[in-house]
Amino acid sequence: MFSRPTTEQLLAGIAEELRTVVASEVQTETTKIMLQQIDQILMGCSRRAAHEIAWVHEEAEKIGALTGKPIGKPASLHLEDVLAWYHQVSSLLSDEVGAAFRSGDQGRIDAVKELLDARSAIEMQVLGALELVGRG
Amino acid sequence: MLHLEEMPHRVKAFFEKVEPTWKNVSVEKYEVMTGGYSRLLARADVAHDGIVSTFVLRGDPPADKSLLYTSRVQEYELLRIVGDAGVRTPHALYFDATGEDLGTMAIVMEFSQSTSFLPYVAAGNSIEGLNVRLAEAIASYQSIPISALPASMERPASWDAYMTKRINSWREASNNHVESLPVFHYVAEWLDAHRPPPAPLVLMHGDFQCANVMVTADGHIEVIDWELAGIGDPREDIGYFKAVSQASPPDLLGDDGIEGFCARYRELTGLNELQVNPATVAYFLVLGVVGTVEQLMQGGAAWAKGENHLFNSVFNLSSVLFGQSMWLNFLGQLSEPMKQIAAAANGGK
Repeated sequence: MFSRPTTEQLLAGIAEELRTVVASEVQTETTKIMLQQIDQILMGCSRRAAHEIAWVHEEAEKIGALTGKPIGKPASLHLEDVLAWYHQVSSLLSDEVGAAFRSGDQGRIDAVKELLDARSAIEMQVLGALELVGRG
Repeated sequence: MLHLEEMPHRVKAFFEKVEPTWKNVSVEKYEVMTGGYSRLLARADVAHDGIVSTFVLRGDPPADKSLLYTSRVQEYELLRIVGDAGVRTPHALYFDATGEDLGTMAIVMEFSQSTSFLPYVAAGNSIEGLNVRLAEAIASYQSIPISALPASMERPASWDAYMTKRINSWREASNNHVESLPVFHYVAEWLDAHRPPPAPLVLMHGDFQCANVMVTADGHIEVIDWELAGIGDPREDIGYFKAVSQASPPDLLGDDGIEGFCARYRELTGLNELQVNPATVAYFLVLGVVGTVEQLMQGGAAWAKGENHLFNSVFNLSSVLFGQSMWLNFLGQLSEPMKQIAAAANGGK
């Protein structure tokens, strides 16, 4: 397969074309809004495509270290397998959240919060600047 | 209600039926209104006896175009109750309970002359003092005794039971999604561990946000759209209002307005400073959005499973991602104030 341009580059390129060429040809307000929403989603997909599988593995290792539970590994590196595995590992983290609060151990709660803050930081990196186009 | 040729005839016949003493009834104008999120809205100018009166029709959409199910029967009953109690809201005047006359089950209300809050602000009007008017508006409907509310409204067994159910909705939103959402579990556990001092359950608007608030000519707040009303914690509508204001400013309950709001609200409701303060409002800012979050996540899950193809379902997930970051940050800042409030409340017992 041709691996370059990368998926990240292709998606960002499509978004750029829509923004700079197609948008000026669009007449109706609802379609303009939809185009802006598509732009935001495409740019998020571009950022995800470049790092998604690595991010999932990096976070899973931290979850394993935090919970002390075996996290196993995905059946393959195909995305469906990786995300099915990530769901299982995320469930371990969800369980740990409940256990930390039930224990009343502030250090354990803080450790969970640190991991969630890191997860959220990556989500915000994917999101970029949120603009609620079409609202209000 | 959307058939512009048929509806004037239906409206005329309806008024001839419900107001048999009116002479020479005619419909001067009929137009569909925007702004109804889940219901059909239309405006009708009806002439009779030489005068013209304007009414708003609020009816159910066809079942296959309905975003959510709510009861018009309960809404009409509640509108009559809040109107009779003196709450500033357009009065419900008539009800087509079968849909036989107006084509769908519909409430006929008076037309409000007030201005929607966001256009009021956009027109450059001052918002000074509106935080206090907001407190008065909320207190006005929350003072209605629960015993006077429609029997169809669910009565929670206790404040604790109500809170447990609401907090658990965060866990359920994760458990029902297409993947586990640890942040939702954290929010639930945090809310559970930092419950504010209890407050008596009251009538809750259920969708109390700037889009459902209007400003009257004399500067008071009028409240519309009661379809999601229920019985719950009095601070939840306040927190939800603030949450929506974060995305649609101005925030009447921001740093400049929150203390004045809380003081007037406490004065009117008799709640104390431990129950109502900027920290407890912020607590309910997070708790109060769970209903909306559940809906957005259901839409995103359905899209992921190929069960719907509404692009908005995907785009709306961005709001939740942004919200997660905001909630984590908020809860981090709220931990200490909520602990102090709990300690003061326990020490005061």
